[in-house]
Amino acid sequence: MAFPLPRGITPSEIAFLAEMEMVTVVPRQRLEGLELLGGPVEPLVPPRPSTPREYYPPAWLHPDPLSLILEVESQHQDYKNAFSPPLPLPGQPSIRDNGLAPKARPQYTPDGDRYFPSPPFLPQNTAQMTISSRDPPALPFHWVEIGNMLLEAASDDLVEADQVRRLLKDLREIRLSKMRAGVDALDAAAVGGGGVALTGVGAMEVGEERGFLSGVVDNLRKIGASKEQARREQMAEQRANGGYNGTQDEEEEEDYMEF
Amino acid sequence: MDIDDILASVDRGAGASAESAAMDHQLLTRFWVAERAVSEVLPWPTVLMDRMMDRVRMQIESIEDLAASSADVPTNNTHNPNLNLRLSILQTDLARTQYLIRSLLRQRLAKLTKYSMHYLVKLSGNKNPLSQSQSQSQSQSQATPSDSVPDLSTVTDFTPLSENEANFVHSHQNLLAGHYSGSFMEAFPRQLRRLDDNAGGTSMIQGPDTKESVFVRCLAGEVPVIVVGDEGEEDIGVTMRMGDVWVVRWEGIKSAWEKGEVELL
Repeated sequence: MAFPLPRGITPSEIAFLAEMEMVTVVPRQRLEGLELLGGPVEPLVPPRPSTPREYYPPAWLHPDPLSLILEVESQHQDYKNAFSPPLPLPGQPSIRDNGLAPKARPQYTPDGDRYFPSPPFLPQNTAQMTISSRDPPALPFHWVEIGNMLLEAASDDLVEADQVRRLLKDLREIRLSKMRAGVDALDAAAVGGGGVALTGVGAMEVGEERGFLSGVVDNLRKIGASKEQARREQMAEQRANGGYNGTQDEEEEEDYMEF
Repeated sequence: MDIDDILASVDRGAGASAESAAMDHQLLTRFWVAERAVSEVLPWPTVLMDRMMDRVRMQIESIEDLAASSADVPTNNTHNPNLNLRLSILQTDLARTQYLIRSLLRQRLAKLTKYSMHYLVKLSGNKNPLSQSQSQSQSQSQATPSDSVPDLSTVTDFTPLSENEANFVHSHQNLLAGHYSGSFMEAFPRQLRRLDDNAGGTSMIQGPDTKESVFVRCLAGEVPVIVVGDEGEEDIGVTMRMGDVWVVRWEGIKSAWEKGEVELL
C-alpha cells in the first residue's frame, strides 16, 4: 500500500501545519539571513540592552481574553450551540463593525491566480508591541497547538502561564462537548447544496472529529439518497412545467443549524 | 547585486526568485492539505511543482556547499561560529518541504492505484478526436484482461495527472491485468475477462466518490454551494461567507476551490 493514512490530514499532520505559524523571536545572538524553502528569513540581530523594548504575548494568549472567550462560549445565548467567532481574515470586518461587507484582499501567485492568505500563514500568533483592546478577543485557527507549544517553550514570557493552561483546557472541553452535541444538525450536510457551519472551529478540533463527522454525514447521505433523487426529479418536473420557483427551494435549503 | 548575479539568477531556472519562495511554499502546503482531504486526484500543478523541485535541488546544492566549506577548515570556528546552526536550520527546512512533497506524491499514488481503471479511462478520453476511431474496432476480440486496459500511447493531455503518474498508472494496470489473467481469469469464459465490464448497466470501474463531505473555509467574500445533479444541472444551495468553516459536499465547492475561493481543511 502506497499510503496508509485516512482521508483528511491527521492530528500529527495538523501539528506539523501549526509549526508553520509565525512567532516572534527576540534573538540573543547574531545570525545571517537565510534563504529557506519556506521563504527568506531576515538577519537576526540581538536588540541593544540600552534600548529595551516591551513585548507582549499574542493578543489572545492571556488570562483576560481567554476567560472572556470562555464566558462567551459557556454563558452567551447566541453561542450556546456555536463556537465563538474566529480571528478575522485580512479584509474581513471584525464582529464590532458587523454589517460591513467583507473585502477579501487577494494576493497573486506567480502564475497570476488569485491567492487569499489564511492560517497558518497569517501573523496571528506573533508578539504584540502594545496591548490593543480594540478588537474583541478571538481564538486563532491553530489555538490548541500554538497554545501548547508556547506554554511549553516560552511559558516565562506568558502572563500567568498556569492560569492560561487551565483556561485552554476548559475551553477545549466545552468546545468538544459542543461538537458532539451538534450531531443532530449534520443532516443538513447530507443534502446536495446543503452544509453545516462550524465557523470558529479550531484545526485540531476538525482533526479530532473529522472521521466521526464525515462518517455520519456520508452515511446519512447514503440513507437519504433515494429521497434526494425523488426530490430532484420533482424539481426537474417543476422546471419542465415552467413554474419553477427558485426561492421556495432555497428556503428549504437554508434551514441549516449552526453548531 | 551586480550583473553576474542577475545572469546567474536567470540561469538557475524557474525556481530562482526568492520573493515567490514564501508564496510557493504556501501554495504547496495548501495543495497538500487539499489532496489529503478529498478522494479524487486533484489536477497536477505542473508549474508550481517544477518550481518547487528546482528549489529543492538548489537548496540541496547550497547545503552541500556549506557543509563542504565547513569540512575544509575544521579548526576555523572563529570564521563562522554559526555555521552548524545555519546548516541544521537549512536541513530542517529542507526536510519539511521534502516531507510535504513526499506525502503529496504518495497520497496521489495511493488514489491512483485504488482507482487505476477509472483514471485510465478518463485519460484515454482526453486524446485528440482524430485518433479515436481505431480503439473501437478491437472490442470484439477480447482474449485477455490486459486488452481492456486503455492504450495511452496517443494521449498527450494527462490532466489531472502528471505524465509520470500517467505512465505509472498504465504500467500498474498492465501488471495487474497480467496477474489477474495468470492467476484466475484464464479460467473464465472469454466474454467475462474484461476489467471494464459494464454488463447490465453497472460499470465495474470504481471511481472516487465526489459526493463525500469535506471541511472548507470560505476565503472570498461569498461562495455559494452548488447542487450537482445527475445530468449536471446546477442549482445554488447555501451561501458561505468569508471566514466561515463548513462541512459540505466536495462536488458542491469544487469549482470554487479551483478558483482559490475556498480552502480545504
